[in-house]
Amino acid sequence: MTWRVLVFLCCAFALPAQTIERAEALWRAHDYEGANNAFKALVAAQPKNANYRVRWGDLFYERFNPGEAQKLYEEALEIDPKNANALLGEAQILADGFDGKAIEYAKKAVESNPKLYQAHELMARIALEDDNSKVAASEADEAFSIQSDALEATAIKASIDLLADKESPWVAKIGNRGKGYETIAHFYMINRRYEDSIQYLRKAIAATPDLWSAHSELGINLMRLGREGEARKELQLAYDNHYRDAATANSLTLMDSYSKFQTFETPTTALRLNKKEADVLRPYFEEEMKRAMATYEKKYKYALKGAVQVEVYPDHEDFAVRTMGLPGLGALGVTFDNYIAMDSPSGRPPGSFHWASTLWHEMSHVYVIKMTNDRVPRWFTEGLSVHEETAASPDWGDRLSPEIIAAIRDKKLLPIADIDRGFVHPTYPSQVIVSYYQAGKICDYISERWGEGKLLDIIHEFAKNRPTIDVIREQLGVEPEAFDKDFLAMIDKETSKTVAGFADWTKQVREINQLAKDGKYDEVIAKGRAAEGLYPDYVESGNVYSFIADACLKKEDKACAMDELGRYSKIGGRDPETMKKYAKLLQDAGKLKEAEAALERLNYIFPVDAELHERLGGLLMQTGDAKRAVLEYQALIAMHPIDMAGSHYNLARAYQAAGQKDQAREEAVSALEAAPNFRPAQKLLLEVSRDGEK
Amino acid sequence: MAAASPVFASTYFVTVAGLGGEPDYEQRFAALATDMDKLLRADGQTDRIVETLKGPEATRAKLEATLNRIAGQAKAQDAFVLMMIGHGTFDGTEYKFNLPGPDISAPELAVLLNRIPAGRQLVVDMTSASGGAASALKKDNRTVITATKSGTEKNATVFARFFVEALRDPAADVDKNEIISALEAFQYAEKKTAQFYSEAKRLATEHPQVDDAQHASSFPLFRFGSASAAVTDPAKRELVAKKDEIENKIDALKYQKTLMNPDDYKRQLTTLLIELAKAQEAIDK
Repeated sequence: MTWRVLVFLCCAFALPAQTIERAEALWRAHDYEGANNAFKALVAAQPKNANYRVRWGDLFYERFNPGEAQKLYEEALEIDPKNANALLGEAQILADGFDGKAIEYAKKAVESNPKLYQAHELMARIALEDDNSKVAASEADEAFSIQSDALEATAIKASIDLLADKESPWVAKIGNRGKGYETIAHFYMINRRYEDSIQYLRKAIAATPDLWSAHSELGINLMRLGREGEARKELQLAYDNHYRDAATANSLTLMDSYSKFQTFETPTTALRLNKKEADVLRPYFEEEMKRAMATYEKKYKYALKGAVQVEVYPDHEDFAVRTMGLPGLGALGVTFDNYIAMDSPSGRPPGSFHWASTLWHEMSHVYVIKMTNDRVPRWFTEGLSVHEETAASPDWGDRLSPEIIAAIRDKKLLPIADIDRGFVHPTYPSQVIVSYYQAGKICDYISERWGEGKLLDIIHEFAKNRPTIDVIREQLGVEPEAFDKDFLAMIDKETSKTVAGFADWTKQVREINQLAKDGKYDEVIAKGRAAEGLYPDYVESGNVYSFIADACLKKEDKACAMDELGRYSKIGGRDPETMKKYAKLLQDAGKLKEAEAALERLNYIFPVDAELHERLGGLLMQTGDAKRAVLEYQALIAMHPIDMAGSHYNLARAYQAAGQKDQAREEAVSALEAAPNFRPAQKLLLEVSRDGEK
Repeated sequence: MAAASPVFASTYFVTVAGLGGEPDYEQRFAALATDMDKLLRADGQTDRIVETLKGPEATRAKLEATLNRIAGQAKAQDAFVLMMIGHGTFDGTEYKFNLPGPDISAPELAVLLNRIPAGRQLVVDMTSASGGAASALKKDNRTVITATKSGTEKNATVFARFFVEALRDPAADVDKNEIISALEAFQYAEKKTAQFYSEAKRLATEHPQVDDAQHASSFPLFRFGSASAAVTDPAKRELVAKKDEIENKIDALKYQKTLMNPDDYKRQLTTLLIELAKAQEAIDK
C-alpha cells in the first residue's frame, strides 16, 4: 500500500464526519440550500447510513416540506427499521396532520430508544389533543423522568391546568422559552379558544422575539377573528424572515384577494362575498342568516352581542386556507368565534353541497361557542350543529352514506366518553364523517328521549367546563356505558335493515342498471322499489329513484315519475337536473305550488343557475307571487344571462304586477336598451308610461 | 348586433356529422346533425335548402359531391352555411375533419367552398382541434366559427350541442329581432360551453372562436316569427322610415353613452324608446 493510497483512505473515512458537521453548521447558519446540498452529497456517499437520511429529513421538516421529510424517514426505516429518530420524525409528521397512526410510531420510537423523551412529549401532546389529560400528564411525567426540564412536557402540564381554567405553576417554569408558550397557544387554538391562543402567542413572541412560527400563528389567529391589519403585519414579518410555510404564504395570498370581495353589513350581520357573485347570493344568504339567528335566539334563549360575519369563498382553495392546521374535516364551513368561513355554492359541483344546511350548522356553532365561552367539547357542538341541520328542514343535512353503514356494520362507533378522538385523531379515513354522523345522532337521541330542552341544559353544563362523562351522568341520569348501550340499540333499530341489506342493495342496483339499459322498464320499477326500501337514504349518483323515474317516463307514465321524484326530493335528493325535471312534471300537471317548492329547494343548493331563477320567477308570476318573482328575476339579471333583454323584461313584468310602476319602467328601458325592437317590452313601457301620465 | 341583417335569396345549409370512432360518439354526432336538420326544416321556410350527411353517408366523396352540386346551383345573392360536427385532428400544420373512409383537410375543404358562388358564407367547424382549420378556411365574405381556439385543443367538444340549442332557444335572440344571427348563436354556445366546464369543475378544453364578429352579427342564421313583415308592407313605408330614424338616433345615443351624464343618457334614451314603441304600435295597427 503506497502513502498516496493511505492518505486517500484516511480522507475517505474522515469525510463523513466532516461533512455531517458541515451540513449541520450550514443548517445552523440558516444556509438551507448549502445544508441540503451537503446532506445530498452525504447520502450519496453513504447510502446505507440511516442517520444521515433522518437528519436530512429533519431539515426538510423544519423547512416546511413534510412530504420530502417523510420520504427520507421512510427510507431510513427501510435501512434501519428501529431507528428511533426516524420513527419520531414519522410520528411528528403524522401528528401534525392529526393522523391517528402517529401514536404507534411514537410508541415504537420509545421502544427503540427509551431515553427519547421527545417521543413521550409527542404522546402527551396527542393525548391532550384527544382531551385525555390523564394520559397526557403521565406521558409528560415520563419525559421529565428522562429530561427534568423538558420544555414541551412543561408546556403540556401547563396546558392541562389552563384548559381546565386553573392557575398553573408550570407556566412560570417555561421562563423565557417562547416555544413553550406557543405550545399552550396550540392547545387553546384546537379547543377554539382563539383569544387565549392569541394571548399566549404574544407571550411566546415576547420571550423569543425571533420565533417566527409564533408570529405566523399569531397572524393566522388574528385573521380568524377578523383583525386583518395586525394579522397581515405578523404574517408578513414571519414571511420576510423566511418563515414561509404553506399556511403563512397562503394566508397572505388570501388576504391579498380580499380586494375582490365586498362586505354587506347590517346591525347583526356582515356578509363578505366575492364581487362576481355578490348580487346573486346576497339576498339568499342574508335571509338565511337572519332566519337562523331568529331561530337560535329563541331556541337557545340567547342573543348574540356582536354581529356574525360570514365569508363565502367561490374558490375552495381559498376556503381551505382558513382551515389549515385545524383538526377535523373542515370541508365545507368553519367557525371562529363569531366569524364563519364557508364554501360558496359555486365552489362545488352542482348538487354536491347544501349551502344553507352548512350555514345553519356553522351558525349553531357561533351560539354554542359563545354560550359556553368556548368550553364545549368538539363532539357536542358538532353533534348539535348536525342535529340543527335536519331540525331546520328534514331534507337538509347529510344522508346515511356507505362509509357510515360500513362503520355501523363493523361496530366502529365510539363510546361517548371517547367520541372526540374520532374528530381529532381519526384512525381510519372516514372516521371524521362517521363521528359527525354519530354525534348528530346522539343529539337527535337526547332530544327524542329527554326532550329538546335537554340539549340546552347540556350547553349550560358544558359552559362550566365539565367533562362529557360527568355531564352525561348528571344531565341524563345514566352512566356513560348505559347511554352507549341504549344509543347503539336505537341506531341498530334505525339502520339494521340498511346495514344488513347493504351488500344485497349494491347487487340489486347493478341489476337495475342493466335492466334499464335493456329497456325492461316494468322490472326496473318493481326491483327499484324493493331496492329503494332497503336503502332509502341513497340519493347520490346512480340512485334508484332516478332509475325508476326514468323508467316511468319511458313508459310515458308521468304520474309514476312524479311520484318517484317526489320521494327523491323529500328524502333529500339534490341533483339540480333531477329536481328541475321533477318541477317540470309538476308544472305540466298543473301543480304549480309544488313545482315552485321543488325549485325553491334548489336555491338552497345551487342558486348560481340562471335557468333556475328564470323558471322559478315564471312560476311565481303564474301563482301570483310577484314580490318573490322580483327577487328571482333580480338574481337572474345578476347572473348576466345570455338573454339580458328578456330578463329585464321579465323583471319589469314582475315589478308591474307588484305595483312598482317606476321600477317596471326602469326595467323596460333596460330591456329595450339591449333590444330596442323587443315588442313585448315596448308594449309594457307604453303601458307603464301611460299609467304614469294618468 | 344592431347591424342591419341583409335578406338573401336562399340559404344553403350543409350539416355533416363525421366519424365518431366509438358508438357513443357516433350516436351523439348523428343525433346533433338530425336535430339541426329537423330545426332547419321544421317551419317549412322555402328559402332554406338543407342537406345533412351523417353516419356511413358522411363520406368525403358524398361531401364533395354535395358541395360541388351547390357550387353549380347557388347564386351570388345566396348564402351558404357549412356545419361540421365530430372529431378533427391537427398534426401541427394541417387540420383534418374525420369522416368514414378518407378524411378531408381544411385546405381541401377550402378549395371546394371557394367554388360556391354564394356571396355570404359561414363555416361552423365544431370538431375537436377545429381552431387548426380557421386560417385555411378564412376568406373575404366567409365567417369562420370554430369550437377550439387552436389545433392543439384536441379533446372532444361540447360546443356543437349548444350551437344546435341556440337555434331553438329564443333566449339566443338577444336583440329580439326574431332572427338568430351567426354571432348570437356563437355567443350563446360559447357562454353555455364555458358554463358547462365551470359547473363540472373541469378545466375548459375548448375555447370557441369567431374570426369576424361584425360579419357574424349581420349573418342571419335562423329566422323565426314574422320578422321583416312590416318592412315589405308599402302602406306603412312612412312609419317604417320614422322607426328607422328613431333607431338610428338610439344607436347614436348609445354610442355616446360613456361620454354622457348617466341621468341625461337615461332620460334621452327613455324618450326615444317611447317614441320607437309608439311608432311600432302604429305599424302594428
